[in-house]
Amino acid sequence: MTQAELAEKASVTRQTIIALEAQKYSPSLELAFRIAKVFDVPLEDIFQYN
Amino acid sequence: MQFLNNYSNRELNIWAELILSLLVSFYFFPKIFPLIINDQLYSEALVDIVITSIIIAIIYSIFVFGAINTLTKREEKDERDYIYELKSYRISNIIFHVSIYLLISLIVFNPINQVRLNEFTAPMIAMILPIITLLSSIGKCLTQLFNYRKNI
Repeated sequence: MTQAELAEKASVTRQTIIALEAQKYSPSLELAFRIAKVFDVPLEDIFQYN
Repeated sequence: MQFLNNYSNRELNIWAELILSLLVSFYFFPKIFPLIINDQLYSEALVDIVITSIIIAIIYSIFVFGAINTLTKREEKDERDYIYELKSYRISNIIFHVSIYLLISLIVFNPINQVRLNEFTAPMIAMILPIITLLSSIGKCLTQLFNYRKNI
């Protein structure tokens, strides 16, 4: 899946996906759940607290 | 065109807003201060300058914002955009308040200050207020651009 596709499915901009991937931005809980839902996996499979 | 690819639609709009603020101020302020003669503002010439500034802003907006939104894909704001917007408004608000308090302090303490600054006449204060507004607007744009670039 491309960044643009994920951005569209999670209703955010591609720049936000880039920032998330680079670990430069912490998403809201709602956005984290939306991204997890796109991949159909539990939240902790995608996001971990460091 | 490489420049357009490196920046998002929102960043380009902020750059355009910043350049518009600077463009109008570089036209407006050098022309406006000479109009203060004997503590009075020569208002007939002021009207011409204000109208010209508005026309410049409208023409610039039509062409530049139009070009940006045509050449790059327009995106809806998401939570990150709103967070950065709020941060930038906070900085803008701080700049505005500090400048206003500074101006008030200068007006209040100027008569008792040993090193007298220029007299703060009503036209002079009327000219300083748009400068403060401009500074806070520039602060807002720069904060937004800094936050967007910081994450790249």
